[in-house]
Amino acid sequence: MDNSSTVAKLEAAGKTRSVPRSGRGLWALYALLCIVWWGVWGFLSKLGSDQISPQQLQILFTIGIIPPSILAWAQLGFKVETDRRGAIYGILNGIFTGLGMLAYYAALARGQASIVGPFTALFPLLTIALAFAFLRERINRIQAAGMILALAAIVLLSF
Amino acid sequence: MATWVFYACVATLCWGVVGLLQKLGTNRISSRSLLIWLVVGFAAMLPLLWRGGALAGLGWRVLLIGLLGGAANGLGSWALFEALERGAKASVAVPLTALYPLVTIVLARIFLAETLTFRQWFGIALAVAGGAMLSYETELK
Repeated sequence: MDNSSTVAKLEAAGKTRSVPRSGRGLWALYALLCIVWWGVWGFLSKLGSDQISPQQLQILFTIGIIPPSILAWAQLGFKVETDRRGAIYGILNGIFTGLGMLAYYAALARGQASIVGPFTALFPLLTIALAFAFLRERINRIQAAGMILALAAIVLLSF
Repeated sequence: MATWVFYACVATLCWGVVGLLQKLGTNRISSRSLLIWLVVGFAAMLPLLWRGGALAGLGWRVLLIGLLGGAANGLGSWALFEALERGAKASVAVPLTALYPLVTIVLARIFLAETLTFRQWFGIALAVAGGAMLSYETELK
C-alpha cells in the first residue's frame, strides 16, 4: 500500500523525518528500553552517591556517556547532522539537564529529600503543558487517564 | 519562600523544558545526531561541575560505577530519542519514561536486598497500569 501522501502530510507537520511509516509503531518498545537503561542509571547513581559528591558523579556520567555517543557517531559514518536548530536543541537539552541537576542538588541540600524528590519528579507535567501548547499534541482518553496514573506513580516512587 | 522551593522550581522548569527540546530536536535531526549534540551540551556544563570537586583520589570501584552510570544514561536518552523519532508524542513519552524509578527500585530489591514499602508496591502497580495506558495509541495523527 502506498502511504506516501500520509507521510508527506506528516513531513509537512514536522512530525516525521527519516523513519518510514512501518517502523513508527515501535516507539513504545524504545520507550520501554529507555525505562530499563535509566533504571540501571538510577541504581548506579544510588550506589555511587554514597561515596562521592553529586558533582563528581555528574562529571563521571558526562565521561561515561561518550562511548554510546561514539557508537551513534560510528553508525552515522562518523558524520553528524548539522541542522542548526536541531543542534541547538540538542546542546540546550544537555545544558538544561545539567542545570536542572545542579538546582536539584541545591534543593536537596536545603530541604527534605522526601519532599524535594516528588516535587521535582513532576517535571513531566510541564512537558505535557508545553507539548500541548507548542506542538499541538493531542492524546486519547485512555492515554490521558494513563497520564494521571503515571504522575501519581512518579510521586509515589520518588521518595 | 524557602530557598529549597526556589531551587526545586528551577530543576522542575529545566527538566520540563528538556522534554520539549527532545521532541523539537528529533523533529529536525536523527536520534543519533541528537545524542551527539546532547553530549556537547553536557560537556559545556563540565566547568561548572568541576568546582564541586575534581576526580583526584577516587577509588576504581566508584569510578567504574560513575562511568557505567553515564553510559546507561546515554543509552536511555538514545532510546527515548528513537521513540520520539518514531512518532511518540512528547506528552506521552516523557511521563512514560519518567517511570524509570520502577526499575531502580526493583534492582535495589534484587541486589541490595532492600525491602519494598507498601507505598512503593502501590506506586509500582500504578506505574505499570499508567504506563500501559499511555502506550495505547489509537491513531496516527
